[in-house]
Amino acid sequence: MDTLSLDTFDIRAYLREDLLPHFMCPGCGHGIALRALLWAVHERGIPKDRLAVVCGIGCSGRVGAYIDANTYHTTHGRPLAFATGLALARPDLEVVVITGDGDCLAIGGNHLIHACRRNLNMTCLMLNNEIYGMTGGQVSPTTGGGRLTSTTPYGNAEPTFDACALAIAAGAGFVGRGMTLQLPALKTLIGEGLAHPGFSFIEAISDCTEIFGRKNDLGSAPEIILRQKSGMRPDTYGNIVDRPFQAKAMRIGVLGRNDRPEYGAAYRAAVAARIAP
Amino acid sequence: MHMSTRQNLQGNHACALAAIAAGCRFYGGYPITPSSEIAERMSLELPRVGGVFIQMEDEIASMGAVIGASMGGVKAMTATSGPGFSLKQENLGYAAMTEIPCVIVNVMRGGPSTGLPTRPAQGDIMQTRWGTHGDHPIIVLTPSSVREIYAQTIRAFNLSEVLRTPVILLYDETIGHLVETVDLPDPATIERADRKWATGPREGFRPYADPGDGIPAMARPGDGYRSHTTGLTHAEHGFPTQNPADVDRVMHRLLGKFDQHRDLIDSFEALHTDDAEVLVVAIGIAARAAGRAVRQARAAGMRAGLFRPVTLWPFPEDSFREHAARASTVLVVEMNAGQLSLEIERLCAQPGKVARLTRFTGEPIGPAEILATIQERARHGHA
Amino acid sequence: MDNRSGNAVQLRFGGSGGQGLQLSAKILAATLLRAGRTIALSQSYEPTSRGGVSRSDIVVGEGAEPVDFPLATELDYLVLLDEVASRSSLPLVRGGGVVLADADRVEPGGGERLVLRRLPFTALARSLGNERVANVVALGALIAVAELCSLATVEAVVREETPRKFLDINLEALAAGHRLVMAPAAEAAVGC
Repeated sequence: MDTLSLDTFDIRAYLREDLLPHFMCPGCGHGIALRALLWAVHERGIPKDRLAVVCGIGCSGRVGAYIDANTYHTTHGRPLAFATGLALARPDLEVVVITGDGDCLAIGGNHLIHACRRNLNMTCLMLNNEIYGMTGGQVSPTTGGGRLTSTTPYGNAEPTFDACALAIAAGAGFVGRGMTLQLPALKTLIGEGLAHPGFSFIEAISDCTEIFGRKNDLGSAPEIILRQKSGMRPDTYGNIVDRPFQAKAMRIGVLGRNDRPEYGAAYRAAVAARIAP
Repeated sequence: MHMSTRQNLQGNHACALAAIAAGCRFYGGYPITPSSEIAERMSLELPRVGGVFIQMEDEIASMGAVIGASMGGVKAMTATSGPGFSLKQENLGYAAMTEIPCVIVNVMRGGPSTGLPTRPAQGDIMQTRWGTHGDHPIIVLTPSSVREIYAQTIRAFNLSEVLRTPVILLYDETIGHLVETVDLPDPATIERADRKWATGPREGFRPYADPGDGIPAMARPGDGYRSHTTGLTHAEHGFPTQNPADVDRVMHRLLGKFDQHRDLIDSFEALHTDDAEVLVVAIGIAARAAGRAVRQARAAGMRAGLFRPVTLWPFPEDSFREHAARASTVLVVEMNAGQLSLEIERLCAQPGKVARLTRFTGEPIGPAEILATIQERARHGHA
Repeated sequence: MDNRSGNAVQLRFGGSGGQGLQLSAKILAATLLRAGRTIALSQSYEPTSRGGVSRSDIVVGEGAEPVDFPLATELDYLVLLDEVASRSSLPLVRGGGVVLADADRVEPGGGERLVLRRLPFTALARSLGNERVANVVALGALIAVAELCSLATVEAVVREETPRKFLDINLEALAAGHRLVMAPAAEAAVGC
């Protein structure tokens, strides 16, 4: 028996195997996040024909192509906008957005806050690797203080976004954070997001070993993700030591949940109330 | 006897009603003068036919949402004006590249920048043709009356569906806000076209393979094809390619996909062009003024004519060349600094043949000025 | 040369934003539609909703023919509710054209070229209880002068297009404006 295998989920049933090997660098966490997503899809029993995956641009944007579903690789920062049209036009589809920290929080930041506010039924999985990897390692809204990137050669002086705090403040129906080191927990979190009837925002702490790791001398992928783990704090510890914008005090788990009306249903109800049958 | 549909109707409202009649069931937009009446009317009408209206957070998002809805299989549109169109350009290129049908209305106001928000202009003739990065096919229709807005909106949807392309409906503020008495057609007589949906075997389905007419059938999510759509240059299987031979083949199909369908696409109005010495070329409100000027010139014994492209892009160049062949002067009348003139000058190789009457003050060009210019050129021609 | 081929009549309602000019034009356009005419209605306004120059033009086609050029080129009738619109509108009135101007808000003038009648639209509206129906008073006067359609047809449109709350005062304003032209002496006693 393969003792390393923690689960019996066979990801190959959900992949376009003819596209393999994938493009991701050795040590990249995105593949693990992809596994967590597809495992959650599998557990939820979502048929592949009914799954629509909408991606933006960047390393995160390329992940969707490997999924054997209806996949859309859209424009930089805009997958939530595309997904909004798709989900409103086709409420029968299970719409999942895969985005990155730059795609979602910088160029697409406006769409994120309004998607949270609107609370249309979809699941947004933001892969946070602290960097613009595909374009060569430029600073992103989640790059930690002092970090070296292609565009912060003297160290990053900008504070970071806490994406989950932002999503909660903007009204997202379900908000959670997980990390690639804890695959089953991340899978469970995504599953809860898929099950939530509204806008679900899930931040997966991924890693960019090849570019971010090298520039900041962070060592190998295992070293990076173990260090990530030491900076994470399960949400059950509560808010006693909460320090916004401090990477080492990041909460993980389900961080926000509300029962605000789902937008598509609310729109149809508002219309039905005013239009006589 | 069916009830009379004769009514006083605003251009922008005609656009909205025609979109509904054409089968549009999704509108994503952002408010901008002078197009907002389209959004307002769609927000009212769409729910009545089971459609969805959404006001998005910005122009970029509204274009994205429209493409997203159309990817889902629903006919979708947005409307904007010059500044908003500029913001939509990246996603417009995506729709052209991925061949997602959609309709974008641009109601033109004075520019650049915020410019003259409530005044008419025709400054987006080139923006609508070239407005995105890279080479791309695009269709632009340019109505010049309320009745024609209705007809061309329906046609915009039909062309968009049949040719799998974004189609732009372009008209100036004057035409958009103009109220005219119109007879709307009986909805039962309206011809609606739908895109070709993939129906063959799922196995080995190639979403961008040319079935012979240059227009691939589209895979509807949920139908079992599970295809991939990307703005990256993609081969027939839909996945990215950088192989020069593949890129060359798919780009040739994309850029040439209208070639086989020009009879469907080209449209224009020709008035007294047979023996015209002075041929006026104009669109929108300028063409309405030119029409009167040409009739008055004829009444005064001058051989004037009007060529009005209804399909602005691709420009109906073969027809234009025929109609312009006998003219000694081609007078381009437009409300900008000279954009359509560039195309007309390209098509009339003869030096000195093309004259321009242009204005960008926010005031329409009237029949009297055009008539005066025709008179001047006619005299010049006889001398 | 004639600069109005294909158009029977051209009219303008000119004044400042918020005076209800566009509503008057809309009512008249609906009336003309009902009378079997073909119209083109265009508006011009400044980016602010209140106070700037505002105008609403109607070009009426010959019989049921569509209007060729839909914008006003030579006005037969100009209703002027505020001096602010005079400068841009008076030069567009054809020789012998009629200007119906609000006596309270428009300076005397017009010269020999035009027939400028200053009538108490605002004063009459005030006497009816609401200054804001001056636009409807002016509409009543215009249809009496222009003879494009009957008062009864306009009344029918007003009945359909006006909220119940404002219907009575609008009908009174319309009739009062009409009388102002048809029986000026009687109305002068009431209104001024």
